[in-house]
Amino acid sequence: MSTRVLIVEDEPNIVESLSFLLNRGGFEVASTGDGEAALAALRSQPARVMILDLMLPKANGFEVLKAVRTDPALAGVRVLILTAKGQASDRHRAEAIGVDAFMTKPFSNREIMSEVRRLAEG
Amino acid sequence: MDASTRAAARSVIGSRIRDRRRSLRMTQAALATRVGISASYLNLIEANKRSIGGGLLKRIGDALELPLESLDGAAERRLLDDLDEIAGAPMLASLPLAGSASDLAARHGAWAHALVFLHRAWRDRDRAVNALSNRLSQDPFLGDAVHRMLTRVAAIRSAAEILGATDDLEPDEQRRFAQIASVESERLSDVAHALAAFFDKDVSDAHPRTPIEEVDDFLLDRGNHFPALESVADDLRAACGDASERALADYLRRVENVAIGYRRASAGTLFEYDAQGRKLVMDETLPAPTRRFELARLAADLFRQGARLSAEMDASPQLRSAAARRRARRVLSSYVAGAVLFPYADFREAAVASRYDIEHLVRRFDASFEQVCHRLTTLQRPGAEGIPFGLMRVDAAGYVTKRLPLPRLLLPRYGNACPIWALYAAFQTPGEIVRQIAEFPTGDRFLFVACAVDKVRPAYAMPRRLMSVMLACDVLHADRTIYGEGLRLASAAKAVPVGSNCRLCVRNDCAYREEDPIVGA
Repeated sequence: MSTRVLIVEDEPNIVESLSFLLNRGGFEVASTGDGEAALAALRSQPARVMILDLMLPKANGFEVLKAVRTDPALAGVRVLILTAKGQASDRHRAEAIGVDAFMTKPFSNREIMSEVRRLAEG
Repeated sequence: MDASTRAAARSVIGSRIRDRRRSLRMTQAALATRVGISASYLNLIEANKRSIGGGLLKRIGDALELPLESLDGAAERRLLDDLDEIAGAPMLASLPLAGSASDLAARHGAWAHALVFLHRAWRDRDRAVNALSNRLSQDPFLGDAVHRMLTRVAAIRSAAEILGATDDLEPDEQRRFAQIASVESERLSDVAHALAAFFDKDVSDAHPRTPIEEVDDFLLDRGNHFPALESVADDLRAACGDASERALADYLRRVENVAIGYRRASAGTLFEYDAQGRKLVMDETLPAPTRRFELARLAADLFRQGARLSAEMDASPQLRSAAARRRARRVLSSYVAGAVLFPYADFREAAVASRYDIEHLVRRFDASFEQVCHRLTTLQRPGAEGIPFGLMRVDAAGYVTKRLPLPRLLLPRYGNACPIWALYAAFQTPGEIVRQIAEFPTGDRFLFVACAVDKVRPAYAMPRRLMSVMLACDVLHADRTIYGEGLRLASAAKAVPVGSNCRLCVRNDCAYREEDPIVGA
C-alpha cells in the first residue's frame, strides 16, 4: 500500500504540480484548499505526511498545525510547512508549535520530494 | 509660566520699546511726553526694570505704531516657550542653553523664530520618516504583494522543472504544465507592476535612531531574556538570604554600606538615592511591593560593582550612545530586581499553573500588577519558556512610558497607539482587568490584557495617578491563559478591528480615526 500525502494549499496550480510529482514518486495524494477541510480530511483518513501552507482560508496553517499537535489520534502525522511567509518569526512560531520540516516558496521539486520521502520514511 | 519666564517676557517688552523708538528716531523725552509719563520712568521701562500693561502699554503701542500683541509679550512668551522646548531636547543636552533663551529672543528675535521654525520642520519630518518606515514594514499591501509574488514564482518554478526534468511527459501533460507556467507568469507581472506603482508613491529612508530606540532594539534582539542576569539574581538572592524587604535592606546596609532612611510623606520625590553619600531615602507610605522592588534594584545596580550589567551592555552593538547605555543600565537593573523577587522557576511554574492569572500571581508573590506583567515578559529560558508577551504602559495623557514589542506587534514609541486598544479602555474601569482579541489590518491577531493601576500620588490635591499596563500575546497562546476563556479564538471568529495607530492604519472608514494616514489619505 502506498503512503498517503495530504496537500493543504489554496493555489490550484501548485497543487497540480505537487500532485503530479508525488503521484510519479509513488505516493497516494489527496488535497484540500482550506484549513478546516484539512482537519476533517485527516480525521477521516489519516495521512503520513501533510504539506501545509500557512495562509489558508477558514483556519490558517498555524491553527491546523496546533490542532494536529494536540490531537492524540493524529500524533503520527508528519507536517511539512510550505509557505511564502518565510520570515524567521513564522518559522519560530511553527517550531514552537511542533513542525517536522519548514520550506519556503519558491521550492525546488527535487528538494521537496526528498523532504517528503525523508518524512514518510522517518 | 514661572517667575523667571515672566521676567524674561518683561525684559523683551522693554527692549522692544527701546528698539522701536530708536528706529523711529524718537527721543525718550518725546515718547514720554506723548504717552503722559516722565522720561525717567520711561527709561526704567526700557531698561526692563518696570513691568507695564493696560492703558499705558496701549498708549505706547499707539505712539510707536506697534500692535498690542507684539508689545504685551504674548508672542514673546510663546517664542520663549518654544525655545525652552528646543533647549530641553535630549539631542542638545550637552550644550549650556539653559536660561539663555530670553537673551536670544530679545537680541535676535528673527533668528530665534528661525530656530523655532526649523525645529518644528525637523520634528515633523522626523515623525513622517518614522511613520513611513514603520508603515513600510507593517503595510498589508506590501506583505500581500510579496506573498503573491512568491506563490506565483513557486508555481512557475515547479511547472518549469516538471517540463525540463521529466522525459516521458504525455503531450497533454506537456501542454498543461506549459500553460500553468504561462498563466502564472502573467499573474506575476501584474503583481510586479502593482508593486512598482506602490513604490512610485512611497519614499522611505533609514530612520534616525534615538537612545530609546537603541534600548528597544537591544531588548527585542535579546528577546527580553538575559540568562546571565538570571544567575546574577540567584547569586544576589542567596547573598541576601531571601528576598524580603528586611533582608534586602540588611544586605544593602551590611555589604554595600548604604544608609537607608524612611521619611514621612512630604513634598518631593518618593524615593531618592544619593550615590556619592551612599544614602537611600524612601517615603514610608510607598506600597510594600514598590519599596521591595526599589531596594532590589539598588542592590542589583551595586552588586559586584554592576560588572555583569556592564558586560551585557558591552556585548551589544546596539547601545552606542552614552544616553542609551544609561537607559539600558536602568532597564537591566530592574530586570535583575524582578528576577530576585520572582525567581524564574517558581514564578514560571506558578504562572503556568494559574494559567497566567495576573491577580493570583500578585497575591502569591506579594507583587504589584505591573511587576508581575513585567516578569511575565521575561520568561523565555530555552526549554522552560512561558508565553511570549509584549508589554506597554501609558499614562492618562497617552505618554508611552514603557514598551516591549513583540516581533509582529508594533508598539508606538511616541504618541498614541490605536484608541480602540484595551490599553485605553482600561482607564474607564481602574483596577479591573480588560481583555480583547484585536485584529490588525495584516490579519495578525493578539490577545490584549490591560488594567489601569494606581500609582502613589504626591498629595491629596493632586490628581489620581493612573497608569494603564497592557500585556499582549499572539492569539495562538490565548487558550493557555485564563483571559482566553469564553472568547472565540479561531481565526474565523470576529475580532475587534484595530490598527497600530492612525498614521499607519489603512482602515479609512474607522469611526475612531483622529489623524489622516501618512500614506493613502
